[in-house]
Amino acid sequence: MQFILEGLQKGFSLLVSGDAEVYSIVGLSLLVSVLATAVSVLIGVPLGGLIAIKKFPLKKLVISLVNTGMGLPPVVVGLLAMLLLSRNGPLGFLGWLYTPAGMILAQVIIATPVITGLSLSAMQSLDREFYRQMLTLGARQWQALWVCLKEVKLSILAAVIAGFGSVISEVGAVMMVGGNIRRQTRVLTTATVLETQMGNFDTAIALGLILLSLTFLINTALTFIQQQKAGAE
Amino acid sequence: MIKLKNLELRLPSGFVLRIDSLEIGEGEMFAIIGPNGAGKTTLLNVLGLLQETGAGALEIAGRNALVPSDRTALRRSMSYLFSRPCLVNDTVYNNIILPLKFRGEKDDGRAAGMLETFRITGLRDCNANQLSQGERHRVSLARAFVTRPRLVLLDEPFSSLDARGKEAIIADLGRLTRAAGTTVVLVTQDREEALSLADVLGVMKGGRLLQRGGPQELFSRPASAEVADFMGVETVLSGEVSAKSDNLCSVSVAGGALEVVSACEAGEKVLVCVRPEAVSVSKAAGAGSMRNQFKGRITAAEPWRLEYRLSIDCGFSLLAAVTRRSLDELGLKPGDEVYASFKATAAHLIRR
Repeated sequence: MQFILEGLQKGFSLLVSGDAEVYSIVGLSLLVSVLATAVSVLIGVPLGGLIAIKKFPLKKLVISLVNTGMGLPPVVVGLLAMLLLSRNGPLGFLGWLYTPAGMILAQVIIATPVITGLSLSAMQSLDREFYRQMLTLGARQWQALWVCLKEVKLSILAAVIAGFGSVISEVGAVMMVGGNIRRQTRVLTTATVLETQMGNFDTAIALGLILLSLTFLINTALTFIQQQKAGAE
Repeated sequence: MIKLKNLELRLPSGFVLRIDSLEIGEGEMFAIIGPNGAGKTTLLNVLGLLQETGAGALEIAGRNALVPSDRTALRRSMSYLFSRPCLVNDTVYNNIILPLKFRGEKDDGRAAGMLETFRITGLRDCNANQLSQGERHRVSLARAFVTRPRLVLLDEPFSSLDARGKEAIIADLGRLTRAAGTTVVLVTQDREEALSLADVLGVMKGGRLLQRGGPQELFSRPASAEVADFMGVETVLSGEVSAKSDNLCSVSVAGGALEVVSACEAGEKVLVCVRPEAVSVSKAAGAGSMRNQFKGRITAAEPWRLEYRLSIDCGFSLLAAVTRRSLDELGLKPGDEVYASFKATAAHLIRR
């Protein structure tokens, strides 16, 4: 209990003191995870929608793969991203290994199946005839898909919340791809692991609580938007 | 407006839709009727370009409808209403102008016109998800007609409405389509609905179009026992034409002989179809013009909608429809001896 109280105190003092390193870690955590979520939304939401409305061979297999992707172990994703981005890897020419860009790529690989799977599920909850009805009203396929996605926007928002949650709190992928380099690729999760390994439990707890608070604040904001829209309907 | 030839469509379920030829004229109101599983909706989906066809040719408004690149353009010249109104979670007004938005067109007062035509002006700013079933159907219709389509396809559009709501919407729809000269293809299981709206009916069963014709033709001259059965011809007797004089056939049936005006020839095996509404019932033998008069006994009297169905044993089974008033005035009940009559022109022969 003493540990936690000390951690709380330290976390609070780190934030109010304007500690440059802490702010750098928090800032990078947000940058990487928010960008990764945004890219995953741009890929995952339309992809989930298309898989839901289109008929194609092996559709059930594709959905199974998406669902499997939702449970990808972050450390395996990190290993995959590292192999891709290493000097001899197919994306080595990008020079993204041990950079925030590489970390974003790894987190996109983690978040995209989550957002795709939940968007797909949201679309499948819509009346089967809805998409076809939009086509019969003269919509092009992309127009019909857009209207359908708007109909399930509350569920899509839940997918975004889940996608963000899956990346802000993961450590395996960003550790492997980013390398936890001070002031370059150190984020809240990797910093917490480091401080724990060094025995600085009060700092580790402080960072952990900052991470929790950040996650709570962002999710609260998104949930507020979601519930406000739900109330308006 | 629509020309369909040699359509053969096999669905993964094993169902086969086979239509040799179907033509629907401009401005015609065509109702496709038939039991569940007949393929009515599948056919409508083909016409609405929602279902790929296997073999066949389809022309809509003079254009080949099977060219994929033309599909959106053709769909924009028609409207298709499903049995459930798929309205977006928005105001009634925004639902109605949705087809205009898809086409990049502005509302030039058309939406207001549709609100008035379907009597939903007061619901303009209401959320579509808060409306009653009848109101939702009206919004759906207003949305379908706002683009002034040349062709409208309706898939059992009134199935979830009560009788009164249905009657009101059908009246408004009929007025609008006749005034605009819109071609309408309506799918329904309800014969009365088809009759009140359609100029031409098509009866489907088992993926085939069994007969196409005016309502009177289908009711009084069904081409087969299946069509007769669906059209509510409830007395169907097996017999053989024993003699013919001019166009009057004498038909032997088990337990009696009938006279029917028909083109059938002597010796032909036939089915005799008699609609219950064509049979008159009296307590005394009539001296009227009806060639067919039989003495029989009432075996059952069952209420049916606003009438009663009497089952009469005349040596063969004959069904008659009588009003409640007639039932009371004549004091008809099971066990009574009566005379059942119908004209030679009221019965119809189907070759077996």
